[in-house]
Amino acid sequence: MFSFLLIIHGLAAVALLGALTHQTISVLWPARARTGSFVSSLRSVPSMTYTNAIIALFVATAVMGSIIYPEYRLNIRPTLQDYRMHGAEGAFELKEHVISIGLGLLPAYWFYWRPANAKAHAATRAIVTALLATIVWYGFLTGHVLNDIRGFGA
Amino acid sequence: MTRALPVFSIAFAAIYIACVYWNFALVTYHPQLAQWGPLVQPPRQGPAMYWYGWLMTSTLGAGALAALALALPARALDRGCAILVWLVPVAMIVTIAYILRGYFLR
Repeated sequence: MFSFLLIIHGLAAVALLGALTHQTISVLWPARARTGSFVSSLRSVPSMTYTNAIIALFVATAVMGSIIYPEYRLNIRPTLQDYRMHGAEGAFELKEHVISIGLGLLPAYWFYWRPANAKAHAATRAIVTALLATIVWYGFLTGHVLNDIRGFGA
Repeated sequence: MTRALPVFSIAFAAIYIACVYWNFALVTYHPQLAQWGPLVQPPRQGPAMYWYGWLMTSTLGAGALAALALALPARALDRGCAILVWLVPVAMIVTIAYILRGYFLR
């Protein structure tokens, strides 16, 4: 059950990472004209349509993470402590808090992506999106490295 | 009504870090026993988890502050939130990284 949820958690995180990265690139580096190239296509995605999916994926990933979190505290964290891998342990502690701040940021993220706020708050929307993307990248990389340290099914 | 949402996010980040620092958890989870308990409880068998409780406290506190913020003038609220909504979470991430620095300096 734990391994199954961990895999689904990871897959949801990959989808979230892709959607949020696309949206961040399109909002920070928008294409002036679509030339048909890969980079131009990447920069000109209809970013507003990603918003609700990103919120749903963030919440779903966090909920799955919260379900498997006790397993980490009982079986994985003690291993890190035994091997004196304090950096890895601290990185996960930081992930826990950074993801929580990201969860709290979602209502504002939704607010600033509303069509009504598109022009008036363009800069705020871009910064909030980039911040959320940074949070998700940090969470993903830390979770991935931690999983590699412990080993699947170990 | 929706203009209170950025206030919620700002308050959530600040309250969450305060909850972590002073351990204001609404509930405690004992994973070894698979038991929940109200407020902050010491570990029984195995570790005690306060993270769920911190999230609950922060959600309630931020919700209350967001509701109160509706009484403020819309224009001032809008202007203040446009900066604080990213500045406060960034400052809180830096703060928690500083609090946890011991893990990385051993």
